[in-house]
Amino acid sequence: MNREHLRSLFTAKSARVDTNKGEAYYKNLYERCRARLDELKKITPLRNIDIAQVLEDEGISRRDFLKWASATTAMLMLPASFTPLVAEAAELMNRVPVIWIELQDCAGNSEAFIRADGPKVDEIILEIISLEFHETLMAPAGHQAEAQLEDAVNNFKGKYLLFVEGAIPVGRGREWCTIGASGETFEEHLKKLANDAAAIVAVGTCATFGGVPAAAPNPTGAVGVMDVVNNKPIINIPACPANPANIVGVILHYVLTGQIPELDSLLRPKFAFGYRIHDNCERRAHFDAGEFVEEWGDEGAQNNFCLYKMGCKGPMTFNNCSIVRYNESVNWPIGAGHGCIGCSEPGFWDKYAYERPMADANIKMAPNGGVEKSVDQFGLGLLTAAGVGIAIHAVASAVAGKKSEGEEA
Amino acid sequence: MKIELIEKIEGEAFLDVSCRQGKVRDAYVRFPHYRGIEKILVGRDPLDALVINPRVCGICGHAHLQATVRTLEKLAGFEPNEKVKKIREITRFCEMVQNHIKWFYLVVFDRLGLTYDFRTVHVMIQKINMLAAIFSGQWPHSSYALPGGVTCDPSQLEILQAKRLVQSVREHFVLLVGAFDIKNLSKDLKRLYDRLEERDLLYTGKSLDRFITFGSDSYVQSSKILHGKVRPAKLHNIREFGQEKSHAKGVTYKGKFYETGPLARTMLRGDLFVKQLHRRYKDSITTRIFARIYEVGTLLKKIDEHLRTIDISEPSYTPLEIPDGETMSAIEAARGSLIHKVCIEKGKIAEYVIITPTQWNLSNAKNGESSIIKKALIGAQCEATDIIFRSFDICSVCTTH
Ligand code: SF4
Repeated sequence: MNREHLRSLFTAKSARVDTNKGEAYYKNLYERCRARLDELKKITPLRNIDIAQVLEDEGISRRDFLKWASATTAMLMLPASFTPLVAEAAELMNRVPVIWIELQDCAGNSEAFIRADGPKVDEIILEIISLEFHETLMAPAGHQAEAQLEDAVNNFKGKYLLFVEGAIPVGRGREWCTIGASGETFEEHLKKLANDAAAIVAVGTCATFGGVPAAAPNPTGAVGVMDVVNNKPIINIPACPANPANIVGVILHYVLTGQIPELDSLLRPKFAFGYRIHDNCERRAHFDAGEFVEEWGDEGAQNNFCLYKMGCKGPMTFNNCSIVRYNESVNWPIGAGHGCIGCSEPGFWDKYAYERPMADANIKMAPNGGVEKSVDQFGLGLLTAAGVGIAIHAVASAVAGKKSEGEEA
Repeated sequence: MKIELIEKIEGEAFLDVSCRQGKVRDAYVRFPHYRGIEKILVGRDPLDALVINPRVCGICGHAHLQATVRTLEKLAGFEPNEKVKKIREITRFCEMVQNHIKWFYLVVFDRLGLTYDFRTVHVMIQKINMLAAIFSGQWPHSSYALPGGVTCDPSQLEILQAKRLVQSVREHFVLLVGAFDIKNLSKDLKRLYDRLEERDLLYTGKSLDRFITFGSDSYVQSSKILHGKVRPAKLHNIREFGQEKSHAKGVTYKGKFYETGPLARTMLRGDLFVKQLHRRYKDSITTRIFARIYEVGTLLKKIDEHLRTIDISEPSYTPLEIPDGETMSAIEAARGSLIHKVCIEKGKIAEYVIITPTQWNLSNAKNGESSIIKKALIGAQCEATDIIFRSFDICSVCTTH
């Protein structure tokens, strides 16, 4: 396998993301968005907050805000001409009610989303979305909380976005995990709330694919939302934890278009999951040059070389961490010298867990088998090809040694 | 009369309380959720635990990661160098700081109907998480620590960036809470004190006055206080027991219940501010709440010290083989001592046990021994159950795991 071939393998734009859909398409979309925003403006906001005012109070200038809007427009893979619309949509975020529930989880996504941070503007906007109900943050106490939730559902029947954090135990764990005073199972709770939702957003790998609770032997029979709910549009935002920027992106897209964003076969928004970590990784040049970390703490590690040989799953993982990063964009896992663990991929907890290179990864199936089957065929093909390609590449580079780059190519 | 309190605290906890004439007569805690993490770990490669365990909890993931790492290192008889120790402490202390600040304002202030400077609180949390992420890549859930060291190799520039962040958080902190001077409380500390006094809560929630800490680091040393005497605490005296109608296990030390967490740590360290409060209010919610927020100041100072003294030329990692065997180790997490126990046979995990801080504080009474939470609640005004319960900063996802 020669270098050119490898390069083409990894630089080939993923066929699934169509970033230019043609003028006619965008013109039509623009008009639809315009109409949608005008409609929204007529609705009395759920919470009467003037977002422009709040941003100003927080010391964010109009210019910063527009900068944010243009970055977000790009993230959503829309042409730059949509920037004013995105800005307007952000200001109308308080017109869409959101209900957030937690099932079998660790609360990490709520932490990442609401209490931690995101890029500054995102975070302020998230504070003013109309979070009608959030199980961890808002519920005062059990019975009162239940009444509050019921109110929110009744008031916004058919209109709210239901955010779900955590897996749903449908096996032996069904009876173990119940909600509140009613003793409803997670599954009943979810189905009930899903019935009246406009769409469901599954946040984090637990809610999307079962996550760590579904790790073999899956003691509770944990599955993701899409394995339980089949009568509503579902948007999956996997990763452990999910990136707040992608959560904002989804809400914003909904506000803007009244529709859910374009999804891949695993129901992930393409704007965030259209590329692999590897496609935009800051260490990519080292991968291409065959410069790898061979052991933790070695010279390569000190020089930020590629982590593939240390088990980095960036080449098999679809997500935008390499662009969006975490915690005010200050860093991300590969930035801290650890390979990607593939936490947004189905089955990462069994397939990829820890630093095993793909070649000898022991792929355990979750007992229900559901998640594995839904692996995107394209992704799977690529993954296998990439696995083989990289293994050869990595071996070759080790044999040739880093110095003999020139001859190797 | 019976009341049932359902708390949403990073998951769910039930508190069944029976009241007579406005006073609590009996109390029982139940945790309804369960994921089976200990079962999931069996049969896996020991290193898999580094991916699974941090995900036990979205709040104290660093502590779970480091507890795993330390347990595996202990098995290999390995002690990391100063640089590694400092980096791990920095990230773990950051996690504790952000937890305490959130709890102080989002829980305590909120419950007591006190307002607070939301923006500044938010900025502090944001900055402290950024500081951690410089070393850990992200917060929550990260994988930068592994047996033998850490994967990051910070440059002088990153250390500088981190120093600035901690400096700024310290400044904000002082502005918010004022000085820890018992005779001269000001700002938010004063407002909190006044509110507790107003509601006649100052002496409420006294418990067994026994404290224990198993983790040892540059901040605190493993030890316990029983009848006012400080003694070493040994891991092998810990016993877990199953509890009816709950997925959480109870835990004792030589058959007795102990309180763990910031109050225990500050008492064991002999921090003057907390000792003074303790003299007056014993282990009531007052001392418990103030101890936790007091700890923030000390931890920030520690982080700053580490950043000033770290020698970045030391190696970040030393190669390590993990042998078969059985061992147990502890680390201090935000809510108290976190204990991990592993047994490895033929290179695979044969058994893994996780004992979390909340298990210590929220065990139900057993064999005639009153437990920490029970003792704190019995006899208290029924309306105070909520704040007493919350004063322990409970985490149910950790507890049931
Ligand atoms: S570190 Fe991982 S994602 Fe980055 S270039 Fe190397 S293999 Fe790809």
